[in-house]
Order: sequence, then C-alpha cells, then structure tokens
Amino acid sequence: MGLEATLVPRIVEAMDKKPRIPVIWLHGLECTCCSESFIRSSHPVAQDVVLNMISLDYDDTLQAAAGFQVEEIRKRIMKEYAGEYLLAVEGNAPTRDGGVYCTVGGDTFLNILVETAEKAKAVVAWGSCASNGCVQAARPNPTGAKPVKDLIPHRAVINVPGCPPIAEVMTGVLTYILTFGTLPELDRQGRPKMFYGQRIHDKCYRRPFFDAGQFVEAWDDEGARKGWCLYKMGCRGPSTYNSCSTFKWNNGVSFPIGSGHGCIGCSEENFWDNGPFYQRLSNVVVPGIESTPDQIGKTLTVLAGAGVAAHFGSYMVRRGINAAKKEKPVPSAPEKEGGDQ
Amino acid sequence: MSRRVVVDPITRIEGHLRVEAMLNDRGVIENAMSSGTMWRGIEVILQGRDPRDAWAFCERICGVCTTVHALASVRAVENAIGIKVPQNADIIRNIMFLTQMVQDHVIHFYHLHALDWVDVVSALKATPAATADLAQKVSPTWHNSSPGYFADVQGTVKKFVESGQLGIFQNAYWGHPAYKLPPEANLMAVAHYLEALRWQKEIVKIHTIFGGKNPHPNYLVGGMASAINMERLNYVRDLITDAARMVEGMYIPDLLAVASFYPEWTTIGGGLGNYMVYGDLPQNGIGDPSRFRFPGGVILNKNLGEVLPVDLTDQGQIREEIAHSWYEYPAGKEALHPWEGVTAPKYTGPKPPYKQLDENGKYTWLKAPRWKGNAMEVGPLARMLVGYASGRADFKEVVNEALGKLKVPATALFSTLGRTAARGLETRLAVNWLGAEFDHLMTNLKSGDSATADTAHWEPSTWPADCKGFGFTEAPRGSLGHWVQIHGGKIANYQIVVPSTWNASPKDGKGQHGAYEAALMGTPMADPLRPVEILRTIHSFDPCLACASH
Amino acid sequence: MGTRTLHVEHLPEQRYGRRYVWQLPVRLSHWINFLSLLALFLTGLYITFPQLAPAGEPSQHFVMGRMRQIHFAAGQIFLVSFLWRVYWFWMGNNYARSGFPFVWRAAWWRDLVRQAMAYLHLRRGNVHLGHNALGGLMYTVFVIGLGWGQIFTGLALYSESNPGGFWDHLTGWVIPLFGGSFRVHMWHHLFAWGFLVFAILHIYVVLFDSHQYRNGLLSSIVSGFKFYEEGDLDHDSWVS
Ligand code: HEM
Ligand code: HEM
Ligand code: NFV
Ligand code: SF4
Ligand code: SF4
Ligand code: F3S
Ligand SMILES: [Mg+2]
Repeated sequence: MGLEATLVPRIVEAMDKKPRIPVIWLHGLECTCCSESFIRSSHPVAQDVVLNMISLDYDDTLQAAAGFQVEEIRKRIMKEYAGEYLLAVEGNAPTRDGGVYCTVGGDTFLNILVETAEKAKAVVAWGSCASNGCVQAARPNPTGAKPVKDLIPHRAVINVPGCPPIAEVMTGVLTYILTFGTLPELDRQGRPKMFYGQRIHDKCYRRPFFDAGQFVEAWDDEGARKGWCLYKMGCRGPSTYNSCSTFKWNNGVSFPIGSGHGCIGCSEENFWDNGPFYQRLSNVVVPGIESTPDQIGKTLTVLAGAGVAAHFGSYMVRRGINAAKKEKPVPSAPEKEGGDQ
Repeated sequence: MSRRVVVDPITRIEGHLRVEAMLNDRGVIENAMSSGTMWRGIEVILQGRDPRDAWAFCERICGVCTTVHALASVRAVENAIGIKVPQNADIIRNIMFLTQMVQDHVIHFYHLHALDWVDVVSALKATPAATADLAQKVSPTWHNSSPGYFADVQGTVKKFVESGQLGIFQNAYWGHPAYKLPPEANLMAVAHYLEALRWQKEIVKIHTIFGGKNPHPNYLVGGMASAINMERLNYVRDLITDAARMVEGMYIPDLLAVASFYPEWTTIGGGLGNYMVYGDLPQNGIGDPSRFRFPGGVILNKNLGEVLPVDLTDQGQIREEIAHSWYEYPAGKEALHPWEGVTAPKYTGPKPPYKQLDENGKYTWLKAPRWKGNAMEVGPLARMLVGYASGRADFKEVVNEALGKLKVPATALFSTLGRTAARGLETRLAVNWLGAEFDHLMTNLKSGDSATADTAHWEPSTWPADCKGFGFTEAPRGSLGHWVQIHGGKIANYQIVVPSTWNASPKDGKGQHGAYEAALMGTPMADPLRPVEILRTIHSFDPCLACASH
Repeated sequence: MGTRTLHVEHLPEQRYGRRYVWQLPVRLSHWINFLSLLALFLTGLYITFPQLAPAGEPSQHFVMGRMRQIHFAAGQIFLVSFLWRVYWFWMGNNYARSGFPFVWRAAWWRDLVRQAMAYLHLRRGNVHLGHNALGGLMYTVFVIGLGWGQIFTGLALYSESNPGGFWDHLTGWVIPLFGGSFRVHMWHHLFAWGFLVFAILHIYVVLFDSHQYRNGLLSSIVSGFKFYEEGDLDHDSWVS
C-alpha cells in the first residue's frame, strides 16, 4: 500500500491498543465484487482486518445472524457509537419511485443509507457504484441510481472507486483512517490521492511501446504477443486514475493490461457511458447525438464545404444571369448607397 | 394458529433476499415466499450498446460468480455473429470457469453456509489435542492439524470473543438446539473457515494471469486477450496443484464430517425434484454438446431413469412468466421466450417501510422462468444428478463414494444436505478437470498452436445486419443463459435468465412455486424467532440475488 | 431606419485612401496561430490514430512521443500567441476590437443582420475597415470560444502527466467539470474539428470578400493596410 515503510511500527502499535472501531458495511444496488475484492487483500489479510483492526458489526454478506437480529445490530451501533462508527457503503441507492428498487428489511436502502450516515464518524464509498454510480447508473439509469456523495451531500465521503477497487487499496484506506484517526488527503473527486493520484498510463510497463509508436493493431497479432501498447485497442489507461499499474492486482500478480486486454477505465466516473470500449473515440455524450467526435467533425466539415460551394455556386449563377440581362448589372456598386438600407 | 416468519435480510448470501414463511400450528412451514428486493435493470441498460462491450456490463451483474456472465455474454455474441473461437480460447475459458467454480464453492461452504451447522462459540470449549485427533482422523493427508495449530486458532477466537466486540458473529443463533457438532468439530471448522479465507485469494490468481484481475477479469468476443508466457503458466500449474490439495485434504473431509452429524437433513428440503442443466466445458467447441464435461439435460420428478434434452432456442421450452413479479408484459402475453423477452419494471408492492408482502399478488423483482411450464432446480445438485443419470463414470464415482462414506441411499441427495454435498463433489470433479484442461493447453502450445482469438469478425462491418444468438454456461449456482438480438451492429434486445432466477423464482401463473419456496415446505422449525432451518435450506442453494434479478 | 451609417467623408482623410488597419502584433499573432493550429490539428489527429508502426526495440524509436512533443510545443506557442492577441485586444488600435459582439449595442446587431442578409442575397454588402459584425461573431465563437475551450481542455490533458504540478493547479478542475479525463479528451478532439470548419469558412469568406470589395483585404493580413473609399464603414464609427 501507499504508506511509507517508517509508518508501519506506528500502525502496528495503533492496531494493538485501541478498541476496534465499529464498522457498518451497507449493501445497496451492487454486485458484491467490492466485498469479494476486500477478502482478497494480502497486506493486511482480510482476517486481520476483521478480527484485529475493525469490528465489522454489520455486513449482510458475511453476518452470522439474519433478519431482524441484524437490523437490531445496526440500530444499536448507531445509538451506542454515535459519531464513532465508520460507515462503509458498497453499491448505491435507487432514487426513482421512492427507492423501491432496493429494500432491506422492508425499508428502502435510500432511507437506511441516509439514516446510517447521519451519525457516522466517516463515510467510505467502496467501488465505482458507491463513488460514481457504476453500471446501474449507466444510461438510461432505469432505477435513478445515485452515488453516495449525492445522497448525503452534507457529509464528506471518501470515494474508493474501481470496479472493484484493488483489495490493498481498500484495506489501505481503512488502515490509514485507523492509524491516523483522520481521513487521507483527497483529490477533487474525493479520492485518496495516495491511491488515485496517477493514471494507469503513467506507470504502465507498456509505456515505452506507446512512446515508440508500437501498437497492437488486432487481437492476437504479432504486436499483441510482443506486449505492445494497447492504445489502438481502446485502452483507457491514458484517462484512468487508479493503482493498477503500480500495485497490480491480487498481490501483484498482474493487471488488465498485463494480461493483454486494455483498461476499460473502471475507476472513472461515467466509464460505462464512455464506450464502445474498444475504440479510442467513443460517442460524445450529448442528448440526441450518438456519434464520435470524428463523425461529428467530419459531418460539420462537409457541411461547411457544402455551404461554401453552394454560396459560391449560386453567386456564379447569379452573375451569369445578370451578365445575360445586360440592362440590370450586378448589384455590387449600388450597394454602397444602400448602406443604411 | 398459523404464524408468519419474515427473514429479511437473509444474510450470508449475495444480494437482497427476503423470505416469508407461513408455519402451521405444529411449527412446520406450509407456505413460503421468496422475494428478491433489488433490481438494477442491466437488460435495459444493454439496449443499443456495442455487443462487444456487453460482457463487461454483464459481468457486473455479480462479483461473487464473477466471470460467468462475461462468459455467457461473449458466447451469445459469438453465436449471433457466427464466430468460432480457437481451441486455446475455449481451454483458457474452461480454466477460468473451473477456477471460479472451485473458489466460489469453497467460499460458500466455509463463509456463507458453515455457520448454519457450526457453532463458533462452542469451539471455545474444545481441547486442541482432541481436535487434532479428529482432524487427523478425517483427513490424514492435511498438513495443518497439530494440537498447537488448533490451540493458536482457539486463542485467536478467545481473544476475539473476550474483546466483547463480536463483529459479524454477534446476535447469531449460537446454542440453538439445531446445532449438533461437538466442540472439537466446531473448532476444526472455525480453523478451516480462516484457512479457506486465506486460500481463496490464491486460486483466483489464475484469473489474474489470464484475465488481468479478480474479481471481474477481462473477456473478449472472439477468444481471449491473454498473453501467454511460460513463467506464468508454471504459476498456474502450482495454483491448480494447491487447489486440488486443499479440496481433497480439507473441504471434502470437512463436508463429510459435518454432514455425518446432520442425518435428518437428508430428508428435509428436497423441494421440486425437477432438475435442469444446460451443460458446459466444451472439449470440441461450444457447438458440440456431446463433448461437454458437464452433460446437459433435464430430470423430472426425481426420475433418474430418464434425461430429457434441453434446447435454448426452442420457443416452447424456456419461457419467463411474471404473474407474481413486479414487471409488465405486452397485452395478452403471459410467458415469453428470452429472444422475445421484455423487461419493463412496474412496482405494485406495499409502500416501504412494509411489514409483509402479499403472496397472492406480485412480490419480487425476479421473473419466473419455466421449462416447458415446469419449475426447475438448477445448480450443483442438478449437475451431479444429470451426470450421474447420464451414466458418466466420473460423476458416478464421486457420488457413490460419498454416499458410501455417509452410508445413505441415493435418495438422500434430494435434500438440503444433498445439495450441499453435491457442491463439494462437484468441486472434486472441478479441480481434477482443472488439471486436465491445463495439460491440454500445454499440449497445444507445445505443438505450436498459440492462437487465442479469432479476429476475422471483429469489425461490426463484417457482421450480418440482423442476427440473434444465445450463450450459456454452468455457473456455480446453475445453468445460466444469455440471449441477444443484434440489429445494425447494436444490441436490440438482451435477456438474461440466471440460475438464481430459476431457484429463487416466485410462483408462476399456474401457482407453481420456485425451487426455494418448494424446498422450504414441510420444514419443521424449532424456534421461529431464530430461523436456522430456513437459513440452512436457503443457503444450500447458495443464493445470489444480484444475479437473480439483474 | 435611423441607422447611423458614417461615411468616409467623416474621416479626417481623403475620399480614397489606404489605412493601416492590422498592426504588426495582430498580423504576427494571425500567422503564428495559423501555423501552430495547423501543427496542432495534424499532430492531434495523429495522436488519436497513430499510423506509423516502427519495428524493433521500443527504445530505438520515439514516433508517438515526438508527435506529442510537437503537439505540446505548438500548443504552448498557440497559447502565447493567443494571450498576446488578447492583450492586444485592449492595447491595440480600434480595429483590434472590431466586430467583437458588443451585444448591448443596437448598431452591432444591425450590422450583423445586414451582413448576414448580404451574404444570403449574394449582395455585396457593406465594406468595413475593421471586421464586420458577422466576421466578429465568427472570430468570437470559433477563435475566442473554441480557442479557450481547446486551450483549457488541452492544458488539462497536459496537466495529467504531472499531478499536483503547475498546470494541474491551473487547469485540473476542468477534468471533473467534463465528467472525467476521458470526456475531456473527447471534447478536445471534437473542438479540433471546429478549427477546420472555421478555416474553411474563413478562407472562403476572405477570398470572396476580397474579390467583391477589391479593397486589399487578402493582402491586409500580410501588409496591415486596407484600401477604402467613401461610403465604407469604419469600425470607429459604426459601433461607437
Ligand atoms: C494550448 C493548446 C493545446 C494543448 C496544451 C493541447 C494538449 C493536448 C494534449 C495533452 C493532448 C493529449 C495527447 C496525449 O495525451 O497523448 C492533446 C490531444 C489532441 N489535441 Fe491538443 N492541445 C492544444 C491545442 C489543440 C488544438 C488547438 C487542437 C486542434 C486544432 C488540438 C487537437 C488535438 C487533438 C485532435 C488531440 C487528440 C485527442 C485525442 O484523441 O486524445 N489541440 N492535446
Ligand atoms: C491561407 C490562410 C488564411 C488567410 C489568407 C487569412 C486571411 C485573413 C485575413 C485577410 C484576415 C482579415 C480579415 C478581415 O478583415 O475580416 C484574417 C483575419 C483573421 N484570421 Fe485569417 N487567414 C487565413 C487562415 C486563418 C486560419 C487557419 C485561422 C485560424 C484557424 C485564421 C484566423 C484569423 C483570425 C482570428 C482573424 C482575425 C484577426 C484578428 O482580429 O486578430 N486565419 N485572416
Ligand atoms: N445465480 C447466480 Fe450467479 C452464479 N453462480 C450467475 O449466473 O451468482 Ni452471483
Ligand atoms: S463497483 Fe463495480 S465491482 Fe463494485 S459492486 Fe459496483 S459493479 Fe460491482
Ligand atoms: S497499454 Fe494503455 S496504459 Fe499502457 S501505455 Fe498503452 S495506452 Fe498507456
Ligand atoms: S479497467 Fe480497472 S482494474 Fe485497473 S487497469 Fe483499468 S482501472
Ligand atoms: Mg432476465
């Protein structure tokens, strides 16, 4: 993780002494891949996080109890630890039709989220769903899904985007909060700078091929086998902020580009609507327009050319006609007097 | 007096599931409702998009069974366009498929299902030495079974419990009379809960190598984008070897040990008795079902004497109904084949917050898929039964061995425990096949065949203007199908019918219950306020509601 | 109509004459813009669709890198020239401000309508010493508007390679404004076409008007001088 080595003793010390901070982990419209990613963490391993670092008091995916016993826990933590518990949100809330597209225990997830955020010490938005809306918020967003920051606008939210986020980024964010008792430094989009400060492209091991101009032109071609740059296959690395090319995935084994497929930009706002994924230019997102900038640009260029041709053409015709009717000359000179019409 | 038990949220599953069970005056469930309480509209969102991107959207239906929707999706698009992927792509996909299955099943057993059978608190009473004896008896080959190891684990649990912060283990049903394991078995299971948690993050590295990450590795229409190199392949081989060791040395022994304490659960929770499998793991391309490792077919009314064929393209076979689902169909339509499927949500349930749903009205975000009008169960049990009934030697061997060890008849499979056992047996097959698929890949590479993608049909200009296709796979939870219509290079319709949609479906127009509901019927409940019995049966299906409603 | 059309006889000069309209900074900026935009457009398109594919070790080549370097260098040049021209808008002679949409002035609107009608009716229209309102509008939309758009999106893209750096502080806010880095790149690309569209219209209009008016319009952007005769509109007067 992006913490300096010298901080490690401090972290260990902090972990040993404090009572574990209660965490309520809510699940909304989501696919649970963030939880799955979380348990893949190697440094620290999930077991240590759950047994020694935090007190994971509410999490419907892992909870032993069910039904009203679980809701009771949430209510109790909210009361007993008001202002002290951490709210972690996986997924987001539908807002259309009163939020009926996601309910838990008979109440809407929207209500539960707003209610639970009220007294939380901090709110962590796991993954692209909670941070940016993700797949269910892609056009036409049938459920009116909104990211957490839009639903609790008065609360600071730490966005940890990615679909899912890298495991060690997730545990790293928690470790930071637990160690320092403060939130990590966030960027303009509310993401911790230490993990989202740079683009995939800036640390990509295929970058030399990009600079050289050596690109994969088709799947499984010679360039693909030589590991050339995937830019022309639509790689979103140049516009994606994440730690994939630095930490890599699953304890440093690989990352999307490392395994031959371009980045699809899964930690970026709106990335689903930035497709098709396999082209450098996608459709411009303006209501009513569904074309790439090139299609639009070429059309406008042709229109301008046609306009010019039409203007010049009719001018020539007009001149011809006027020349034929000798008695009525081209209205070029008289215009001077008619300047004020 | 009958009484209604509501369990919402059902925990230790993926997604949002609500169960309402009506008990008779003897405390036996006589009616049940399974309600999926979340819907995202992936099928709607896919409309108009580039079919080559669809896999990524579909994959996000679920991060627990990550990859399976991507696989079904690329297959559907390839089927529509007419792409035949190179054999290496099929093999890599098979390896990823099996990796997913093994990881998912192990996680399910230890982290989602075990606490229905294992009492964590009772583990504190065990003596580490006796636990070591037990562990060595059930699995002589497993390395981690010394008294010191179990003492360490017990120490960890003790420290945790004494901290007074019980986290995810609080408010559970510890001490409930339905828990039958002795303290030693409980301690062993708790140790393996943690062991499995550490292990699962290793096997998924196979996905990382071929697909770049896990969860949600990358797929590709036309094949796989994986760059293959030797050092990575050795890594894959090691991970497969490890997985096989873990499954044979830990998972299966634990499964049989736990099962032996709960014989009554071989007679509870059988449910429908109709089983369906599409089949998967192609050995000669997806178009040749005769060479699938998982044979497809249907078994009706527990009749293992006959396996009926399934056809995903037959308009009369697979159809979805919405009599009790929050959707609308065009006027006059009651059941639609997925190629003509429509996803138009219309909520008619009670205004939240609500106390109960109406079993006579609409009550879920899941549609009700039916095969020739029959409700079906899909999943590991269906696959083991269809393999067994098709006379496949590998299936027969693992099934018969387990039945022999547990000293129960084959009919014991039609139960809650049968479902849970089938999942383990399937995992045994899966780790074996994983090795075989890997060897096959190596053989191909050695012979100079390194193609992983067919790109002749990459550009939309090479596609037919109008086409439709279907793709399928055997996801961990059962048969998964995607149906796509493509017009002018764009998705015109996309319909997904998911294993958990089959299993967790509500009643259909004829009032036939889905698999969960049927399996709950007749279950006696010791203490309706602590619904362990409901959890056991529901968990035996390994529900995934994000999948089911999508 | 009450339009005050001020004729050349109001000028302190004679009926026919030559006027220094485009000062050196305007002309310099024009041609620097022209050259840098040409380079930006071509290298920009190359960046989107790189075509040359060198073989061998990547360390031996820098094709894409070079194209980007040229693009960035041209971008900086364009930026300086652009800012210089903005400065000269205030500091230059009145023609340096001519045509700018002074939307609160009725005279500007009248000139706009008149000029548009003249083009539509293929009439000669008025001859202006500075820019006419239509031309001014074109320059404002295409050059000032698009120019800023392209500069901000371009600099925002450029700032990404040095997070926390100078350009990031100055233009980094553009990225969330557009809904992420990818969208910035899309708009930057779309804006690029705007310059081509402008160039087509602009060059045609210049040629057309030069031919019509015969007032040395075409050469004025090189020499700075325009010819006039009585009745031509002078910027100083028609918007004052
Ligand atoms: C101050 C001025 C400008 C700056 C700083 C600038 C900077 C950039 C940068 C950083 C990129 C991304 C290249 C990469 O990351 O590989 C880019 C791309 C591009 N620029 Fe500019 N640019 C400027 C002006 C222009 C102008 C005036 C035009 C057109 C006339 C233009 C056309 C393009 C095009 C077409 C691209 C490719 C977009 C893509 O597909 O990524 N740029 N520019
Ligand atoms: C062969 C190419 C070009 C020629 C001959 C040319 C000629 C001229 C002339 C004659 C003027 C004065 C116009 C008037 O009085 O209305 C002018 C102004 C201008 N041109 Fe061009 N032009 C050329 C290309 C371009 C290009 C490619 C651009 C920008 C993309 C451009 C941008 C401008 C601007 C912004 C002005 C207004 C000058 C100012 O007020 O600073 N020109 N050009
Ligand atoms: N049901 C389901 Fe899945 C699976 N297995 C997918 O098709 O879990 Ni998320
Ligand atoms: S962010 Fe992506 S991976 Fe995480 S829950 Fe949402 S869809 Fe799944
Ligand atoms: S593969 Fe993608 S991230 Fe890597 S250098 Fe190429 S474009 Fe950049
Ligand atoms: S697709 Fe996602 S996982 Fe990383 S390389 Fe791109 S941000
Ligand atoms: Mg569906």
